[in-house]
Amino acid sequence: MNHPLLRTTDLEVGHLNGKPAKKVVASGLNLDLLEGEFVCLVGPNGAGKSTLLRSMTGLLPVLGGEIEISGKKLAQFTRKELAYQISVVLTSPIEVGAMSVKELVAMGRFPFTGLFDRMSEKDWQIVHQALQMVGIEGFEERLIHKLSDGERQKVMIARALAQEPRILVLDEPTAYLDLPGRVSVMNLMRELSSEHGKTVLTSTHDLDLAMRSADRFWLMSAGGEIIQGAPEDLVLSGDFQRIFARDKVSFDSQNGHFSVANKGEEHVSLKGEGDARIWTERALQRIGFQVFDEIEGQPSLRIDIQEDEEGVYWEVNDKRTSQRFGSLGDLTSYFRSLKNQDNLNSD
Amino acid sequence: MMQQDQLKSKPQAIKGSRLWLFALLFFLLLVVVGLNLSYGSVKIPLGDILKVLTGQEGVKESWAYIIQNYRLPKIATAILAGIALSASGLQMQTMFRNPLADPFILGINSGASLGVALAIMGASLAGGLFVPALNAAGGLGLILAASIGAGLVMGLILLVGKRVNNPTSLLILGLMFGHATSALVSLLIYFSAPEKVKAYNIWSYGAFSGVTWEQLHLFFPVILVALGILFFLPKGLNGLLLGEDYAKTMGLNVDRLRLLILLSASILSGTVTAFCGPIGFIGVAVPHIARNIFKTSNHKLLIPAVILIGAVVAVTADLIAQLPGSQFVLPINVITSLFGAPFVLWIVLKRKRGAASFNV
Repeated sequence: MNHPLLRTTDLEVGHLNGKPAKKVVASGLNLDLLEGEFVCLVGPNGAGKSTLLRSMTGLLPVLGGEIEISGKKLAQFTRKELAYQISVVLTSPIEVGAMSVKELVAMGRFPFTGLFDRMSEKDWQIVHQALQMVGIEGFEERLIHKLSDGERQKVMIARALAQEPRILVLDEPTAYLDLPGRVSVMNLMRELSSEHGKTVLTSTHDLDLAMRSADRFWLMSAGGEIIQGAPEDLVLSGDFQRIFARDKVSFDSQNGHFSVANKGEEHVSLKGEGDARIWTERALQRIGFQVFDEIEGQPSLRIDIQEDEEGVYWEVNDKRTSQRFGSLGDLTSYFRSLKNQDNLNSD
Repeated sequence: MMQQDQLKSKPQAIKGSRLWLFALLFFLLLVVVGLNLSYGSVKIPLGDILKVLTGQEGVKESWAYIIQNYRLPKIATAILAGIALSASGLQMQTMFRNPLADPFILGINSGASLGVALAIMGASLAGGLFVPALNAAGGLGLILAASIGAGLVMGLILLVGKRVNNPTSLLILGLMFGHATSALVSLLIYFSAPEKVKAYNIWSYGAFSGVTWEQLHLFFPVILVALGILFFLPKGLNGLLLGEDYAKTMGLNVDRLRLLILLSASILSGTVTAFCGPIGFIGVAVPHIARNIFKTSNHKLLIPAVILIGAVVAVTADLIAQLPGSQFVLPINVITSLFGAPFVLWIVLKRKRGAASFNV
């Protein structure tokens, strides 16, 4: 059984010196983070994810309750001692100017080097290992501002790793990245935990990716409560759907992703298999049709996915006519026009 | 994209070229110092300069006098002032995370000016209560007054600056502090005796000349102490490049760091202001020149770089101010502003194009 590296008891987080002077964002938090696990802190915007992470890393004062790290209270750590326990990657892009990847990652050794920051052979070795772990060895001499956003974030993760912390805390590391960048950074965090045994805590808005990667979720509601659990458990219990409930957007618990809830009133039956079927279904759902298997017989519209020597085509039959479409683009624009006609008729 | 083997061969090349750059800059300093010794209202041949410097006989007495008591102390002052202003500007740019920060622009010089104005003219105002004590201590009192003035304004900007997260607001803040302190100085001028006002005015033009060997005995060690503080700060300054949050989580004591930077930067700029008057643009320009020449923002390299470049720039500015071949001498601020203002403009425009602030 793993023991918690980090544990909170009745933790209260928020801001001091604000208006009002003390603004509580979340309270009564009893959380734990186990050694070697990958936890994603998820929740709607403004729930207080950053505030919680900043409190845990000593960047914000704790308003009440306790945070214990490796069995010792947070308040009893000096900055330097805390730097041995936790290292961070923050959301906002850094502006360091002309600095090489190697120089930046080497800053991770700050807690270990002396006043003049003299790096030993071993320090450089650790820097090199960190670069290897995030998969950017060979980038050592490149300048930070010449990297892509995704590469830069990986460098920041390498810096955090070079600090050899017991816990790696990341605050929305994927926020400024494009989709491939997001996937790759999320994968990297997954690997750091599963292959290198690192304990990783990150906040993220990429629920799809998080659900496929995280060992556990800390699911934070807009009101600041947190429910912990395996992502799948939270979906099954309905907590996940409840916390992310919005008008028109619903969580599809079968496919495991969010979709715009245009539950189509129009019905259509579809016959066909394979990739073509999956993407045809998606296209139809997008324009507000509910798709049924062919057997239903009820809907008046029927689509057959067929194939000839020129490729896939779609045959649409209603009560009167039969039409053939060469692409889903053509098919959907035809269906959209059908729908508009219906709307006109029903008015 | 670069080839991997090319990348691997790069570090050595960089180290080599940087050493070479330092050597080149040092040589450049020797050249401008030589030219500055030679040119002025009278031109003195290089051979005679060397004779004076090595203590040989056979040089016109008036030339020897000019070199020993006028040009040498002036050049020493220029070197010290250039170093101090540049080192101060570098620290401020890093601490405020603002490429336009420098003692002049942030109104920190104005704080120093207020200190000096109080020291020069305040006697008549305060009824000779405590200000004469400053004057009595001679140059040291002036340094103290200027440094305290500089430190106060810088501390205020730090305090208020925490609430504004945007570089432009910070500059406007500095501008306003500058105006406020100038208003106080004007008030002092209004109530002061004409001869004291004249003394203040002459000082406020800014000049490297007029600092005596005796004053240099004070100027030099004070600058050395402030640079000594800076000598311990490269690690902290590098950490601050990532921002305060990162610096804290890397175990740096950011509060102490800020205090040390404040101390070093305000002594450096305050002392120069006390001896030479307010001198603009060197502090903002030199760190940029250093970043561009050395292609780095690592303070372990930048600090020695700004020290060398600051000295070269100040001595060169003074050389140009002599208008070699003429009888005229321009105030040093005319030169630093003529060259410095377009430079700052260039930095602003470069930022507008979306380039990150410290990038080269």
